[in-house]
Amino acid sequence: MFEARLVNSAIFKKVLDAIKELLNEASFDCSESGMQLQAMDSSHVSLVSLNLKSDGFDKYRCDRNLTMGMNLTSLGKVFRCSGADDTVTIKAQDDADTVTFMFESKKDKISDYELKLMNLDQEHLGIPETEFSCIIKMPSGEFARIVRDLSQFGESIVISCTKEGVKFSAQGDIGTGNVKLAQTNNFDKEEESVIIDLQEPVTLTFACQYLNSFTKATPLSNQVTLSMCENVPLVVEYQIPELGHLRFYLAPKIEEDEN
Amino acid sequence: MGILNLTKLLADIAPQCIKETEIKTYFGRKVAIDASMSLYQFLIAVRSEGAQLTTADGETTSHLVGTFYRTIRLLEHGIKPVYVFDGKPPELKGGELNKRMERRAEAQKALDKALEAGDQTEVDKFNRRLVKVTKQHADEAKELLKLMGVPYIEAPCEAEAQCAAMVKAGKIYATATEDMDALTFGSNIVLRHLTFSEARKMPIQEIHLNTVLQELNLNQSEFIDLCILMGCDYTDSIRGIGPKKSIELIRNYKSIEEILKHIDKDKYPPPENWNYQGARELFENPEVADPETIELKWGEPDEEAMVKFLCGHRQFSEDRVRNGIKKLQKARGTSTQARLDGFFKVLGTTPAKRKVEEKNKKNTSNKRGKTSGRGRPK
Repeated sequence: MFEARLVNSAIFKKVLDAIKELLNEASFDCSESGMQLQAMDSSHVSLVSLNLKSDGFDKYRCDRNLTMGMNLTSLGKVFRCSGADDTVTIKAQDDADTVTFMFESKKDKISDYELKLMNLDQEHLGIPETEFSCIIKMPSGEFARIVRDLSQFGESIVISCTKEGVKFSAQGDIGTGNVKLAQTNNFDKEEESVIIDLQEPVTLTFACQYLNSFTKATPLSNQVTLSMCENVPLVVEYQIPELGHLRFYLAPKIEEDEN
Repeated sequence: MGILNLTKLLADIAPQCIKETEIKTYFGRKVAIDASMSLYQFLIAVRSEGAQLTTADGETTSHLVGTFYRTIRLLEHGIKPVYVFDGKPPELKGGELNKRMERRAEAQKALDKALEAGDQTEVDKFNRRLVKVTKQHADEAKELLKLMGVPYIEAPCEAEAQCAAMVKAGKIYATATEDMDALTFGSNIVLRHLTFSEARKMPIQEIHLNTVLQELNLNQSEFIDLCILMGCDYTDSIRGIGPKKSIELIRNYKSIEEILKHIDKDKYPPPENWNYQGARELFENPEVADPETIELKWGEPDEEAMVKFLCGHRQFSEDRVRNGIKKLQKARGTSTQARLDGFFKVLGTTPAKRKVEEKNKKNTSNKRGKTSGRGRPK
């Protein structure tokens, strides 16, 4: 038997909004430690890794490890039926064919939605531990804005990080765009500052399309962390307060020198 | 012609091994294309009002139109194609080739009759049956590929065998052909419909040999014997034994030798002087060029030479050719997107587990539909 209760169902909805553009369907792996999801998008360029810790839930019970494959569009429909202040309880029997979402509103209204589960092929990827050359922490809204702005100029964004700061640039048929952010010296408001932890300068190129999809996670957190290293996928991480994190991995674009 | 009914058999008893995907998932992959097969497709499919495209003096250009546009499409999707042409046909294929010649002669007769009767649909039908890829077609296509900067290889013998050897050596990702015998030659991954027209919206079928063997519960040599039993290009098969019977016999007796010892020869007479050993040898050790000696290079297209080649007496529209070349250059110029699975190792795939009763149900109902889509409702 699996049961997880979250007083703030809106968080789950935000998580869903953040990943459903990249993934059509995905499996949630539930265990004693929490709910996890790892899946690549269909073109195998990016990876979504979601971790929701069991102690972040208001109630959590998982007797047996359980994999729940769901169509995320359908799951979106279920959550569209929920109110902003509702409490959600996710329930499934061991080896069940369906999962139930129960929404309780403050006004004694209770609604139940049952969703059919799917059997999905799952590819598990081993993600090696990486010593990143630079880790950039910045306001998530700022990052979303930069990506959106630069997407108008080209298909890819070059992120270049030095000790002076971080530079985002794009170029295309109509011209070029550059955004430079310097490290903030004023640490009064941590969530508004740009903090760079630099081992060595890095410059990498990424496709706008995927970065734009990642920024759908902006409502989850005020801050975003970008971790970069030469010849390693970019990691974009959003902390989900008290519950866990949502990470996106993105393979860089590489210059073609030899076949 | 490949292996008779193999696709159908797989769809029926091992639907898991055929995955349907989209062309965009293959970016960054090197793919070997069976050139004779794709040229034949182009000659059949690239037509205007039922007739092949030709120059002013009646020379066919359908194969060039196809090669030009569909290669551009592959490159635009970030796929790196290498075309593999057939060499001399293996001796064992003589019988099959003779049969094809007879069929052509019949088609020619039927065509003459239809022409006389003035039946246009019949004329079209038999015209298509008479299509043949000539050496000239192949040579022209090679010339065009060279100008486009796309590599090609001339196989010493069968193209599928050469492709399979290159896949096995890890030189390329997959073989793109419609012929299922690429699997028999041991190509781990076979893609079908890759060079089909975009307008047909045909999903690409990706077939993994490992999954095929696993699902059929056979090893490679048993699989080869199965293909010979079902009917291949290189020898006859036993009359009266179809796909279902073949798989049953192979599962029981493991090899053609054993099968011959056990079956009722009056009911199922094996062909006279049946050279199944020869066919088996051809599948196991085909004549191929060593993949390690092959160098694949995707180069810069030669714009002026291409315009001259296509627009001269072959009457391609210069605007369209230059447009196509622009696309080629763009596909080359931009940096390529790397694949995530190139960085992170796939630790393992958990295939969707199916319940036993469902598996049985699947065998009887809705056979074809089950091959589509990744997810299966429980």
